[in-house]
Amino acid sequence: MYFLEQFANWKFYLMGMYPEGELGGLLLNIQLAVVCLLLSFLAGLVLGYLRLSPRKFIRIPVGWYIDIVRSVPLLMIVFWFYFFLPYIMGEHITVFRSAAFSLFVYGSAYQAEIVRAGILAVPKGQMEAAMTIGLSKRLAMTYIIFPQAFKIMVPSFVSFFITLFKDTSIAYVIGIIELTQAGVIVSQRQPDRIYAAYLSVAIGFWVVSYSISRIENVLKKKFGTIEIAGIITGTKRV
Amino acid sequence: MMITGVRITIFLLFATTLTSLLLGTALAVMRVSGVKMLRAIGTLYVEVCRNIPALFWILFFYFVFPDLLPSRWGQILNGYQHYPIAAGILGLTVDNSSFVSDILRSGKLAIPDSQKEAAASLGLNSLQQWGYVMLPQMYRAVLPPLGTRMIHNFKNTSLCMAISVKELTWATQNIESLTFRGIESTTIATVFYIVACGIMVKIIIWLERYLKIDITSITKSRA
Repeated sequence: MYFLEQFANWKFYLMGMYPEGELGGLLLNIQLAVVCLLLSFLAGLVLGYLRLSPRKFIRIPVGWYIDIVRSVPLLMIVFWFYFFLPYIMGEHITVFRSAAFSLFVYGSAYQAEIVRAGILAVPKGQMEAAMTIGLSKRLAMTYIIFPQAFKIMVPSFVSFFITLFKDTSIAYVIGIIELTQAGVIVSQRQPDRIYAAYLSVAIGFWVVSYSISRIENVLKKKFGTIEIAGIITGTKRV
Repeated sequence: MMITGVRITIFLLFATTLTSLLLGTALAVMRVSGVKMLRAIGTLYVEVCRNIPALFWILFFYFVFPDLLPSRWGQILNGYQHYPIAAGILGLTVDNSSFVSDILRSGKLAIPDSQKEAAASLGLNSLQQWGYVMLPQMYRAVLPPLGTRMIHNFKNTSLCMAISVKELTWATQNIESLTFRGIESTTIATVFYIVACGIMVKIIIWLERYLKIDITSITKSRA
């Protein structure tokens, strides 16, 4: 029983102070990851498409954006948004929003790369065939290329979701009470429970990302394993 | 302060790259070896470490690890001046090596088993088979994703600021709190990271050229 008492704080790990106060803990991590994944998916679609644009003045700035975001540590991006965006804009934004913004910016650049690699992985003949039957470029893109590309992208999106989920732990640094922070708070208040606190944090992260990685494996089998990572890394890697 | 930060960041980069390559290689060999026990240990390690954030591992090695050891050792570690750096290296290594071993394992799948059999028929013992025949080919096959991972690891070194390792990101925050010159220092640090990543990309592309890797052929053979 003593062992179980160590985990009496499970509610705090799971959802922070939620019914009384703000949402926190593991659910906050999941919320951040899901919201940022969906938003940055849309942005990534647009950016990835623009990256392939034939017009130089669109392609090159978008490429710069992607490369710069991808070569700066997420922690740096978080600091930019947390400390200096309010300073520049002269407005105060909440901690959660600044974390979400930075994960969004970070995610959009990575997802743009996934989208680009997915579109490039569709054989060229498909586009040519679509042109031959008289589809315009836009129609061909929406009805022929994109559905196929999307199929290829799905496993990469899922594995990126795992990365994003793990990266939400960085919000710890700016003081959001997510799972890592919850563990640290508990371990500081009850130094005799330090193992239990860290073990709970580890279990929380592990259960979620391990189950997503199982889903990823199923999807990989379903959609086939085209090595998108190789293509991404093959063309331009940061 | 910034220069110390850059030095520590670069030190962390080299140290973690080296340790995680070593540990990752050992794990990859364990995971593809014939011994069931070793395979199970390797798989367990990778599945546990890959699914938990690097930040957690860094905090774990800083706060919990000294307590897990016998109390005298723990006190020595806690008293040790450079323990934060050591904890950062340990944490990043644990995180990165699991990815490295996973990447290397996929490289093993790209190489036909007959290579190992041929090596065995030449009379090489199993250490030599791995060291001279299999591993060089495995590294060559997985160089692109391995390079990406190493760059990711380089960016992860910034996480060490959470345990007050005096590296670049920590330096920018410290400058902000001392002199309110945060924007300038953060800009410099950002530029440094961009340039350093660019250099790493160049090195990896050069290595690929040097080893004459045809990326498309590898991806096709695996697809």
